[in-house]
Amino acid sequence: MGDRVQIQPAHLGKASIQVKADSNKEVLKILLETNKNAGIIALTGLDLGEKIGLMYHIRTNEDAIVTIITDVPKENPKIPTIADLIPGAEFHERETADLFGVIFEGHPNPARLVLPDDWPDNLYPLRKDAKIGDDMVKTETSKNQAEISQVQSEGDIVNIIIGPQHPALLEPEKFSLKVDGEIVKHVEPRIGYVHRGVEKAAEQRTYLQDVYLVERICGICNACHAACFVETVEKILGIDVPLRGKYLRTIILELNRLHSHLLLLGHAGLEIGYETLFQYMWRDREPVLDLTELLTGNRVIASAMTVGGVRRDLKETDIPKFKTQLATLKKKMDFYHQIFENEPSLKMRTQNVGTLSKEDALKLCVVGPVARGSGVAIDVRKDEPYEAYGEIPFNLVTRDEGDSWARLVLRLDEVTESINIIDYALDHMPSGPFRIKVPRVVTAGEAVNHVEAPRGELFYYVKSNGTAYPERVKVRTPTFANIPSFIKIAEGGNIADVPPSFVSLDPCFSCTDR
Amino acid sequence: MSKLATWARLKSPWILHFNSGACNGCDIELVALLTPKYDVERFGIKLEPSPRHADVLLTTGAVTKQCAERLKRIYEQMPEPKFVVAIGACACSGGVFKGNYTVSGGVDKVIPVDVYIPGCPPKPEAIIDGVVKLLNSVKEAKPNGKK
Repeated sequence: MGDRVQIQPAHLGKASIQVKADSNKEVLKILLETNKNAGIIALTGLDLGEKIGLMYHIRTNEDAIVTIITDVPKENPKIPTIADLIPGAEFHERETADLFGVIFEGHPNPARLVLPDDWPDNLYPLRKDAKIGDDMVKTETSKNQAEISQVQSEGDIVNIIIGPQHPALLEPEKFSLKVDGEIVKHVEPRIGYVHRGVEKAAEQRTYLQDVYLVERICGICNACHAACFVETVEKILGIDVPLRGKYLRTIILELNRLHSHLLLLGHAGLEIGYETLFQYMWRDREPVLDLTELLTGNRVIASAMTVGGVRRDLKETDIPKFKTQLATLKKKMDFYHQIFENEPSLKMRTQNVGTLSKEDALKLCVVGPVARGSGVAIDVRKDEPYEAYGEIPFNLVTRDEGDSWARLVLRLDEVTESINIIDYALDHMPSGPFRIKVPRVVTAGEAVNHVEAPRGELFYYVKSNGTAYPERVKVRTPTFANIPSFIKIAEGGNIADVPPSFVSLDPCFSCTDR
Repeated sequence: MSKLATWARLKSPWILHFNSGACNGCDIELVALLTPKYDVERFGIKLEPSPRHADVLLTTGAVTKQCAERLKRIYEQMPEPKFVVAIGACACSGGVFKGNYTVSGGVDKVIPVDVYIPGCPPKPEAIIDGVVKLLNSVKEAKPNGKK
C-alpha cells in the first residue's frame, strides 16, 4: 500500500491519511479491522480547481477523528461507495453527489437529497465555477402532477404522504410512508425543503459575517453553531480564548441546551397527544429565555460569540437571579420525572416504541441523545472537552432501553446536569478579560472542530486561503447524522407510533438541510 | 350581515402556520404565543391544521425553491377573505439568506402580504402587536383578499 497512502501528522483531528481515489475502501477496511465500531462523522467535498477533494472524517474507537483525504478529477468524478462498509455514510454520499457532482459507484440509492427535484442537471452549486442564475426560484404550480400520482396504492399497500405542510410538523419536510393496514412497511424521507445554501453563502461573506450566518442555520441550537465556527477559526489562528470567556461560553451553551431540551419535551407532549405537558413545559421554559436575554440581550438567537471570546460580560448583580431561577427549574424537574415514570398513557405511547438497538445505533453512526439512549456513550463534552467542560464535573447520562421513552427521559436528566454545570460555572467564574483582540486577516490553513449540541455532535470544517472570505465551510449537523435512524425505527411499527418515535429523535430540519 | 361577519372575523381569527424554509427561531417564538405566558387564545386565535379552516396565514422563513410552490398552493386553498402575515426578517425580505441559490427572498415574491413583522426573531410581543394591527385594519376597512 506504501506508495498509494501517506500518513500525515495531526492537523485535521488526530491523524489524516492521504490516499489515491481507488484505495479509499481498502484503507477504510483496514481501519475498521482495528476499530470495530468506527463511524463516519462527515464527508467534506472541496473544489480544488482541476480536482474535487474528498475528506472522509471517521470516528475511531477512542472517539478520535481520523481523516482520509483523497481526490477525484473533475471531468470524471467517480469513486467507490463506502455505504456497504458503513451504512451511515449513505446520506453523506448523496449530499456530496448533489452539491459537487461526485458519482459514488455502487451506492444503494443515488437520489437527490438536498436540492429540489427540478434543479437542473450538471449544475453543482458548491463548485467554484457553478453559474447559478438569479431566477432559480419559480412559483408556478404546474409540478404537482408527479406528486399526486404518487398517492396510488398498490394492492393492500397505501401510500401516505406526511407532506410539507402538516399540523404535526413545525417544519416543511416530506415523508412517504407505505402502510399495510396499520403497519408501516417503508419510509422514504424527502428532505431539502429548508435548504438555503448556507455553505455556499459562507464563502461569500467575511468571517465575522459568517458568525451571524451560521447562527441562523438553526434558531434552536444557534449558540452551538456559532461556538463551533468561532472555535474552528480560532484553531486556524492558533489563539486561545481567556478563561472567563470560556466559562461564559459554557454558560451560554448550557442555557441553549436547557431551552432546547425543554422545547423538545413539550413538543413531544404535543405529538403524543398530551397537550397539557406541552403547555407546562413551555411555561417552565420561559425563565430560561429570560436568563438568556439577561446574559446576551436576545431571547432566542444569542449572537454572543465572536472570534476571540464573547461579546458581552456577565454582571455580578445578575448572578442571584440566575441562581434562584435555576433552583426553581431544578425542583420542577422532579415533578416531570414523576410524570414520565408514573403516567400510564405517556408510558404506553413511548415505552417499547421506536426501539433502536445498540448495534444499529453504531452502524448508522447516530449521535447525541439518540445514541446515548441506546447505550452508546458518546458526548463531545467528555470525549474531547472544549471551552470549560474539562474543568467542570458533570455526569454523562446514558440509558440502555433504546426506545422513545428512554430518549425522552434521558433529556430530562440532561436538563438537571446542565443546571448543575451552570451553577458550578457561576460559582467558579474566573475574573479577567472575556475576549481578546484577534488579527484582522485569518491566515491560510484548515481545521476541524466538534461540539456537543443539544441534538448531538456538531462538526465543522473550515478552510482559509488567507483572504477575507473563507474558502470552504463544511457543516455536519447532528440531525443529519440521525435521520437514517428514523427509517429504521419507523419500519415495522404501527402508523400511530410514528409521531412519538419521530419526535424522540428530536429532528430539526433547518439543521439537516442547511 | 356584513357587520356580523366582520365581528366574527375580528373575534376569532384562526391561524395557519407555515414554515417556508426558516431557521425555526421565528417558529418557536410563534408557538410560544400559544403557551401560558403570552396566551393568544384569549384573543380568539386558534392554531388550525388545515388551510381550509384558516383566516390568517402566518409564514416564516425565506421562501426556498422547494417551498415556493407549496406556499402558493396553500394560499390558494385558503377561503376568502384571507390575510397573510410575514413574520421575521427572512419572510420580509430574505434576511441573512438573501441572494442564496435556493432562496427567493421573501414571502411577497410568491403571495401578497398584509402585515410585515421584522425581527430576527421578533419577540412574541412584536408578533402580537402585528396581529393586533391586522385586526384593526380589518375593523376599519372592508377586507380585500383579492390583491
